Amino acid sequence: MIGFEQVNKHYGSFHVLKDINLHIETGEVVVVIGPSGSGKSTLLRCINRLEEISSGHLTVNGYQVHDNKLPLNHFRKHIGIVFQHFNLYPHMKVIDNITLAPIRVLGLPEHEAKRRGLAYLERVGILDKAEVYPAQLSGGQQQRVAIARGLAMNPAIMLFDEPTSALDPEMIGEVLDVMRSLAQEGMTMVIVSHEMGFAREVADRIVFMDQGQIVEQAVAADFFVQPKEERARVFLSRLLHH
Amino acid sequence: MISLLIDHGDRYIEGFLNTLTISVFALIGSFVLGTVLAVMRIASIRLLRWIGTAYVEFIRNIPLLLVVAIFYHGLAFLGLSGFMAGGIGLTIYTAAYIADAIRAGIQSIPKGQIEAARCSGLSYLQAMRFIVLPQAIKIVIPPLGNQFLNLIKNSAILGVYAGADLMYFGDQINSDTFDTFNVYLLVGVFYLLLTIPTSFAVRALERRMARSG
Repeated sequence: MIGFEQVNKHYGSFHVLKDINLHIETGEVVVVIGPSGSGKSTLLRCINRLEEISSGHLTVNGYQVHDNKLPLNHFRKHIGIVFQHFNLYPHMKVIDNITLAPIRVLGLPEHEAKRRGLAYLERVGILDKAEVYPAQLSGGQQQRVAIARGLAMNPAIMLFDEPTSALDPEMIGEVLDVMRSLAQEGMTMVIVSHEMGFAREVADRIVFMDQGQIVEQAVAADFFVQPKEERARVFLSRLLHH
Repeated sequence: MISLLIDHGDRYIEGFLNTLTISVFALIGSFVLGTVLAVMRIASIRLLRWIGTAYVEFIRNIPLLLVVAIFYHGLAFLGLSGFMAGGIGLTIYTAAYIADAIRAGIQSIPKGQIEAARCSGLSYLQAMRFIVLPQAIKIVIPPLGNQFLNLIKNSAILGVYAGADLMYFGDQINSDTFDTFNVYLLVGVFYLLLTIPTSFAVRALERRMARSG
């Protein structure tokens, strides 16, 4: 479903992604971890072409992502993304945040988009907030709206770019709960996260990155018990002993 | 002052109406031109950006009097009246300021907003229309209001080029009556009749925008 082959990316003279090879199957949940500045977010943002790659091949949903003729808007409607800072539209009510793209991109009639939007809001546990503006919600609630907004497009893949990093600790749980239930339903998910407990529990596979490279890929259970690479061991021990 | 109004009211009124007319036309013209220039300045095509920036920097850094002189004397072969030359000059001059206010408003919207919109499959123009511009307009209204007020006041430049505006007739009435102080005071009152309602309208609009989320 997602395939990186010898992908490289440079920002000027800075080599952000180095020879990335990564294949993600339908229904797989992959958590990308690593120190800050290791290229995790850049890797994620290449998947829906928020970032351009410099060389190599990237295939997503059967599209060559960096083909000049890629129908970008059509391609992107099958990929949901949740950002660290939510990026909800502050001038629109919660329900309008969710229905905008289904109406304007998928062409759904307004009442149908609204019906679906409300169903997704119920699913993330904040049906009663449909008619308020994002600023009236807590961070955790805003992030759940952002997830509902992504799901409302009925995507094949959901991307999560550090979805809990901007949240107060007591709100992280409610967002992870929603993501956990998505994973259990078989959604294909790529998650950049620092939540090791969550990664261990939910991920089918852990991808560990450092300095722009994928250093280790392993089944979650194996990775956390016995990382093969020295850099991964150092990274994990720092997290555990701080 | 009352007697001035009785004796020369027709010329005051004519000047007032002409100033109003030129202000409205220049306002519409400079808003349209300014919006186009603002979009050029943030375009992804370098040539468009370059043209937009060159325009704004050039026009903002020369006097308005000179801009109008170019159209009146410099392009005399066009045979523009003082009224037309003044109107065009005023439009071109004000558009540079409006372009900058609109550009600043658009650029003050966090990049994450357009990213989120584009990621959901909206086109660039849809993202602009539904996400960026509705947020930018709230930020842009106060500086835009200021530019509109400046435009009305700057229209007095027409008086220099026989533009038949309020200032022009004020000068005329003054040379007929030599009642200098009162003549110009009354001219000021007529300008205030234009600017104060404009100022209130802008503030009311600001409040309404602030309420809607």
